[in-house]
Amino acid sequence: MFSFQTIIDNFPVLLGAARYTLLISVLGCIEGLILGALICAAALSPKLWLRRCAALYVSFFRGVPLLIQLLAAYYLLPVIGINVPALVAAVLTVGLCAAAYLAEVLRGSLNAIPKGQAEAAAAIGMAPRDVWVRILLPQALKIGLPAIVNELILLVKASSLVTVVGIVEITRMSQSIAAATYRPLEIYLAAAFIYLAINLVIAQAGRILERRLTV
Amino acid sequence: MTNQQTAPASAHLRNVCKFYGPFQALKDVSLDIPPGKVTCLIGPSGSGKSTLLRCINVLEMYDSGEVRIDDQLIGYDSPGGKPMAPRRLREMRREIGMVFQQFNLWPHMTALQNVTEGLERVRGLSRAEAQSRAREALAKVGLADKESNHPSHLSGGQLQRVAIARAIAMEPRIMLFDEPTSALDPELVGEVLGVMKQLAAEGMTMVVVTHEMGFAAHVADRVVFMERGEIVATGSPREVFDAPSDPRLASFLQGYRERNSLDF
Ligand SMILES: Nc1ncnc2c1ncn2[C@@H]1O[C@H](COP(=O)(O)OP(=O)(O)OP(=O)(O)O)[C@@H](O)[C@H]1O
Ligand SMILES: [Mg+2]
Repeated sequence: MFSFQTIIDNFPVLLGAARYTLLISVLGCIEGLILGALICAAALSPKLWLRRCAALYVSFFRGVPLLIQLLAAYYLLPVIGINVPALVAAVLTVGLCAAAYLAEVLRGSLNAIPKGQAEAAAAIGMAPRDVWVRILLPQALKIGLPAIVNELILLVKASSLVTVVGIVEITRMSQSIAAATYRPLEIYLAAAFIYLAINLVIAQAGRILERRLTV
Repeated sequence: MTNQQTAPASAHLRNVCKFYGPFQALKDVSLDIPPGKVTCLIGPSGSGKSTLLRCINVLEMYDSGEVRIDDQLIGYDSPGGKPMAPRRLREMRREIGMVFQQFNLWPHMTALQNVTEGLERVRGLSRAEAQSRAREALAKVGLADKESNHPSHLSGGQLQRVAIARAIAMEPRIMLFDEPTSALDPELVGEVLGVMKQLAAEGMTMVVVTHEMGFAAHVADRVVFMERGEIVATGSPREVFDAPSDPRLASFLQGYRERNSLDF
């Protein structure tokens, strides 16, 4: 028998665990976007060593599974004398990984903007900062928005991996409740519902932003 | 109106060389562009017309020689010296308007915003001042009623006229045009050339790279023919079109006439 009561009873606990999912996703996303923009800037720099560093960064964080990265951060940091709570290590790692993907999305979007756009701005004497802020980034954001939204949704789902360093977020919490109540179907459905709700909000926000940027 | 700030500028190139890697696009080019006159650059594809034009506002940095706006060197601190400070270059570029073949309007801004952007960010005008100046410029190119259109909702001819408005609103003292009508459907060429003629009549210094020999013949004060990175012939439209002395120029014009079966 499917038991709605199990879902209702355990929903508050799952929502409590969702706080960690949200915390890791939101902070990881902010870190990923800021760091991703910097790595993208490095990847487009005229300086060869900066481009090399960016390429190295991207291949590492894209090429190694996030699970391994989390474990490495968790076990490695104390060894090299850095003692941070598991949550901090998790957020940092998730953000570092997201940055690699977002940097590539941004780079692709910027490359899609015709060279004449920045030239027209330079020709009237616009300063590089204004060229970036007023001309290039708004266009790159619009081009890259669907892919950025994709990355953010993947990030929310990937946040379940932080259980390996002992953080009890939605997935981990539903596992323990499922084991305790012998009601895996109900509990995992409830967990799925929470993930879905978070990601629908992100998708909708993306759609609204996209409409704003579209003319 | 005619003071030091807004008087049309002259431009002077002395022994300008430009390399793309090992390929020399400009070979020791010297040219004087007189103030308040229209100078048309013609020549076969790949002859270096765009490169020459882009060296005047240093969108391409030349490798040696001198480029001056009036008597001020642009691109380098001193002849043969270090590249000029970016801030100083930007100041000089405010005086030089440029219009591109592909318009290069900013698609995320309306026609009005395309024009106000430079006035606000570069000239430092208030929004209200910028808008009133931008509206004047749009009216001048006949697009007062299109100010709230985005570029995706304008025709090619209208796009290029907005681009011209964007340039003239900055009150440049010299205007560079790189094949401003080449990307246009034939029936839209006239409206852009019309605006350019009006600018010429107002005494703007204009350097125009063009394949519109009719425009060059009727509006240019001087025609410059380039081939393989060199200036091969210059003269009045009459001298260049009616009595070409250089055989390469003669054969270029011959080819053009055959392709277009036109008389001018
Ligand atoms: N960025 C670049 N890198 C390498 N070569 C270039 C570059 N820009 C131009 N060239 C070369 O320099 C030469 C001159 O180019 P330029 O664009 O000035 O010719 P153009 O006279 O304007 O030709 P068109 O009528 O086709 O516009 C050409 O042979 C071109 O291939
Ligand atoms: Mg050209």
